[in-house]
Amino acid sequence: MEQTLTVFAQLLVAGVLTGLLFALVAVGLTLVYGVMDVVNFAHGEFLMLAMYASAGLSLLGLQPLLGLPVVAAALFLFGLVVYRLVIGRLLQGPSEATIFGTFGLLVLMQGLAQALFTSDYRSARHLPFQGTVHAGGIAVSQASLVEALGALVLTGLLFAFVEYTETGRALRALAEDRVAATLMGINVGRMNALAFGLGSACVGAAGALLMLSYPVYPTVGAEFALTAFIVVALGGFGKIQGALVGALIVGLLEVFGGFYLAPQFKMVPVYVAFLVIVLVRPQGLMGRR
Amino acid sequence: MRRSLAVLCGVVGALGVAAFVVRDTLVLDLLFSLLLFAVLGQSWNWISGYAGQISFSHAIFYGCGAYAAALATDAWHISPWLAFPIGALAAAALALAIGFPTLALRGHYFSIATIAIGALVDVFVRNSHWLGGANGFELPIATGFASLQFVDKTPYVLIALALFALTQWLTIALEHSKLGYYLRALRANHAAAASVGIVERRWKLIAFCGSAALASAAGVLYAQYTLYVDPGTIALSTSIDIALIGVVGGLGTIWGPPVGALIYVVLSKFVALELGGSGKGYDLVIYGLLIVVIATLQPRGIAGSIVDALRRRRARESAA
Repeated sequence: MEQTLTVFAQLLVAGVLTGLLFALVAVGLTLVYGVMDVVNFAHGEFLMLAMYASAGLSLLGLQPLLGLPVVAAALFLFGLVVYRLVIGRLLQGPSEATIFGTFGLLVLMQGLAQALFTSDYRSARHLPFQGTVHAGGIAVSQASLVEALGALVLTGLLFAFVEYTETGRALRALAEDRVAATLMGINVGRMNALAFGLGSACVGAAGALLMLSYPVYPTVGAEFALTAFIVVALGGFGKIQGALVGALIVGLLEVFGGFYLAPQFKMVPVYVAFLVIVLVRPQGLMGRR
Repeated sequence: MRRSLAVLCGVVGALGVAAFVVRDTLVLDLLFSLLLFAVLGQSWNWISGYAGQISFSHAIFYGCGAYAAALATDAWHISPWLAFPIGALAAAALALAIGFPTLALRGHYFSIATIAIGALVDVFVRNSHWLGGANGFELPIATGFASLQFVDKTPYVLIALALFALTQWLTIALEHSKLGYYLRALRANHAAAASVGIVERRWKLIAFCGSAALASAAGVLYAQYTLYVDPGTIALSTSIDIALIGVVGGLGTIWGPPVGALIYVVLSKFVALELGGSGKGYDLVIYGLLIVVIATLQPRGIAGSIVDALRRRRARESAA
């Protein structure tokens, strides 16, 4: 009995930590979606870029945690450039244009990564937090604790920014009613660019944190992107707190599914839960119509 | 319609002659890939172009045909020709099961749902022993017309050409049918279309089932040509390639997918020959750039832009 309880507790902790990791990757996506109604299908490739940047910095002696601000700032600038060159123009076109335009970015960035870095798996150098923490029969890797903490801090910061600053209010106004916001003198183009930059900076921070425990390769994005889409859809597109809730659900489903079904079926409950939610309640668990 | 059919006859006739005249296996191989991808791109175009539901899991229908061929020869010991109807039925049934709930979703909701469904099917196939699991099938060698296997490449090209002609003819018919008009009306304004009594789900389901059956036929041919089927056939990367062909050529146009397939096949071969091997990403860079440029500047794709330009010129001429 006691042993089953310990196993359960271990799974619970692992599920929450995995969930927070997913939240980390998904918050940027949900911010962009909330403000400009665009799902960036290249979101995973932005993550991949951030991971390569972080691995590159570690070669220069800057370990991922210290390199995080640099990577986040670089991704912010990258996001601004991509918005100016691509996303802003896609918004002028028909609504399918944003789907296949960002899909084109996905193909382009994956191809570039393959051409420049080959398909090899690469890890960061000088990795801290390689140990394991034991408490009450539960074992947790230090890296996943740091990543979970980072996810909480990042989500909290983003939430505070959107809720309590003047700029955040402008972003929320845009999300609520684009026309009315424009009439109130909010510069839509600039706010969209800012939101896209911020979303990219978030995924930059996520990439740097992920390098603590994951290797990077050209298609690493695909592995995280589908989960991020599901997290965002579960929580409600555009809701930052929704992303956190959605991510925790996905993390728990994956860990418990993997343990009680079979490891190769760990994602099945996640996909099924997603399909049920999206069909029954398309606005997500936390979203309003 | 008569003009479209005339163009189709011309293209098919020219390719048919080419299949007999050309003896270079490399060129025949290119021709076969071109026709196969044109069929795949066109079948994707039915659901994602004409019906406007952008799918990222089309490879699962392609897989229905490929696995039907593998099972027919490897497990059931029947002629792989029967894999055409079996695969088409399986694909249409799968499309019905997937489409009935999900076709109510619009835009990215549908696209993301298709990725999740593709991932589910992938898990299912990889863990199904009767479907060969992660290793897949190597089809037994048995040449001859009845076993749909040939030493020479020309028969393959001719069968692919027949499938291509059928697909294009059906697409031309689709454009001029009630179904085609309804889909166009739904794409332009689904609320207005619904208000005049067009039931969105019914017509999109019909398009989806047809699209799946066509993709399955391409899958049968692919399996008989390569004599090898594995879960890579239905993977997300295959679905992405199919979508890429459809988008580059132009969504919702008759000649978009063949143009997209031509660019895809020529570019892949060129990159493989000139830049040293595929899988190095150079081809992806070019497609990605193409798609981004098309999406930002010409959302109607290459064939769509040509159609628009022709229409403008005709309008100018009739005005003058």
